[in-house]
Amino acid sequence: MLESLQYLIGGFSLATTTQNLAYCLLGAIVGTLIGVLPGLGPIAGIALLIPATFGLNPTSALIMLAGIYYGAMYGGSTTSILINVPGETASVITCIDGYQMAQRGRAGPALAISAIGSFIGGTISIFGLTFLAPPLAEAALAFGPAEFFSLMVFGFVVLSNVTGTSLIKALMMAVVGLILGTIGLDPVTGDARFTFGSTYLLGGIEFVAVAIGIFGIGEILVNAAKPAEVLEQRVLVPRFRELYPSLQDLKRSMGAILRGTGVGFGVGLVPGPAPVIATYASYMLEKRLSKHPEEFGKGAIQGVAGPETANNSATQSAFIPLFVLGIPFGPVTAILLGALLIHGVTPGPLLISEHPQLFWAVVASMYIGNFILLLLNLPFVPLFANILRVPKKILLPLVMFLCITGMYSVNNSILDIWLMLSFGALGYLMRKWAYEGAPLLLALVLGPKMEVAFRQSLMISHGDFGVFLLRPISLIFLLATLMFLLIPALRAVFKASRKRAVSEA
Amino acid sequence: MGSRICAAVFLTLSLAVAMPVPAAEFPTKEVQIIIPYAAGGATDLVFRALAASTSKYLGKAVVVVNKPGGAGAVGVTEAMQARPDGYTLVTAITPLTILPHQTKTAFTYRDFEPILNVVQDPAMLQVRADSPWKTLREFLDYAKKNPGMITVGNSGAGGGVHLIALAFEKAAGVTFNHIPFAGGGPSVTALLGGHIHAVSVSPPEGIPHVKAGKLRIIALFSEKRMADFPDVPTVREQGVNFTMGQWRGLAAPKGTPPDVSKKLHDAFKQGMADPAFVKNAADMSVTLAYLAPADFATLMAQDHERYGKLVQEIKK
Repeated sequence: MLESLQYLIGGFSLATTTQNLAYCLLGAIVGTLIGVLPGLGPIAGIALLIPATFGLNPTSALIMLAGIYYGAMYGGSTTSILINVPGETASVITCIDGYQMAQRGRAGPALAISAIGSFIGGTISIFGLTFLAPPLAEAALAFGPAEFFSLMVFGFVVLSNVTGTSLIKALMMAVVGLILGTIGLDPVTGDARFTFGSTYLLGGIEFVAVAIGIFGIGEILVNAAKPAEVLEQRVLVPRFRELYPSLQDLKRSMGAILRGTGVGFGVGLVPGPAPVIATYASYMLEKRLSKHPEEFGKGAIQGVAGPETANNSATQSAFIPLFVLGIPFGPVTAILLGALLIHGVTPGPLLISEHPQLFWAVVASMYIGNFILLLLNLPFVPLFANILRVPKKILLPLVMFLCITGMYSVNNSILDIWLMLSFGALGYLMRKWAYEGAPLLLALVLGPKMEVAFRQSLMISHGDFGVFLLRPISLIFLLATLMFLLIPALRAVFKASRKRAVSEA
Repeated sequence: MGSRICAAVFLTLSLAVAMPVPAAEFPTKEVQIIIPYAAGGATDLVFRALAASTSKYLGKAVVVVNKPGGAGAVGVTEAMQARPDGYTLVTAITPLTILPHQTKTAFTYRDFEPILNVVQDPAMLQVRADSPWKTLREFLDYAKKNPGMITVGNSGAGGGVHLIALAFEKAAGVTFNHIPFAGGGPSVTALLGGHIHAVSVSPPEGIPHVKAGKLRIIALFSEKRMADFPDVPTVREQGVNFTMGQWRGLAAPKGTPPDVSKKLHDAFKQGMADPAFVKNAADMSVTLAYLAPADFATLMAQDHERYGKLVQEIKK
């Protein structure tokens, strides 16, 4: 505990150098912009900016990229509240009560409470990261290949259960990702697999191309296909002095903010697109606890405060599994993992002890970044909201241009651009037919890791499958997986039998 | 007016194309090093530093271009196809002599002219400090009595340290159980967690933990002892006739004029001796090991043959 504090102080001295402060600020601003812009979320946004960090040291790079992630959570609420269009997926739920508040002329307090909640949730969650990550990292050494394999199996099933509406569709997307992940050199024998003699495919499918394709180009196409008025409606931008919430607002939101913090922190620690799930969980909780549940959907401030707090809290705690196990639990942390690998840093149980400066400087920058974002978002919301006035015939081509140049600068490869555009087309079709992109992207990143862990376990055990059941941590994850798979099935059976009982009676 | 400018530009361009550039004037523009790996990796860091310190000796800027992909094959293929005029170079590192055996590549080391070798990192096996094997003899005795029972992690199947561990077990007459990981970091993590018995690594991997007393170097494959660990004997000193390491050097496409190659070699050799670069290399804990073009060519040929045999063996 005390040791963590000492390290954290060291981290602050590193995070407050002019350069790192500048990158923290830049990340916060870019994140807010990405959050505000519908059609460009943190996944595509971070993937796009990875090449911009090539000249930086890994610490500054991660400070900026992490800033984009949590910055986007601040920005996302703006469009939800003002024009009923979520800036990114973690702000979908904010539309319900946020837009209703705006309709009743209370856009200002809605925006302000989002920013305040985000700040409180984010900061408390970073405290958790500060004091929990180091002891957890030591415990994580107990994770060998068998444990990692079972954990990832568990992660996939949970992820598929919680994303989107259809378990089958989510599992299908995960399988597509797993198959794409087998392309390239075999991790155990070094043979080329599914490359069809192409040198380009030898290194596997470039995940940045998939990320920008599905989450960037795909979104642009979806937006371009929408009728113009959806995006270009009148924006009700509140004036600065209308921003202050009343004492009454604050009182009513405090409970929601604190509960949202707890919900978000917990959700960030388990597999899944944490910020998105956290918002749903928090909204449901607030509605259930409220003495006036009928207010929800008609501009209840708790319905804005809770979810907007929860998504920020989840964003910060999602860094714990990334830093401690080296396993990303959601699509955004998967992209951040890729960025770290490009910079020669392999996250895992040794990250904190081998790269203490990186870890503590990034953690310290998160405290600073959240503070910057609070300052940035309270007075400047009207300014950021003005981006929404840019007509989409200008905005979309601009984002498209950014995607293409950004993609090229990752590997200086024209083929990558074609790959990205192909995944863009796929992403558009996926959105149209309601297939989630997150399981595909995560499976592409985790699939090869899972395959290696599986084959390593069997190599170590000389082919004995019992290794997965005999090791306690591995067994627990497998049992939990089984439970997750059986619950929906059992529920269906239960429902069917009750129906029969009712009809028979 | 416009057409006159066009004509002038066209004339200049055609003159530039038509006129053979005498080698005496090399270089007339910046020299490019293709790095077939992503920015920020060990190879990238070493050659970026070398490029920066060589520019002043060459008289023109040396720029680095990353062309990752295909486990390095994409960038190497592009360099092979570049004009052999000395303006496009490529980093030649150990996998150049491994990859062509694993898969159908358009190139082998023979498609390049060696310029010089820059780095040679020793390979080694490390075990946990609390492992029962204190010496190489104890380690090998156990391995002989229990073939296939000692698990040895490596940084990737068919990668340098995997093949080196395979070559070592042959030289020592033992069999290990080789476990591939996605990089040196994860294999060292698994060793520290007690999930495997040993790792095959090249510095800086595992070195901080050796210094911290958590890991022990049980078998060192370099010719000389390491400066950081003067008490750790090499395996050759202990009766196993075996040395192997991983190298990183520079090469130009085949057909580069000899005088141009020589100019490049001289400049990069000076760049290697530059105090700024020497300090950079020490900070990155890489071992500088200059080799002249002829010696570098011999090393590549020798490793090409060695790795060819080893790759055939894992494919069986």
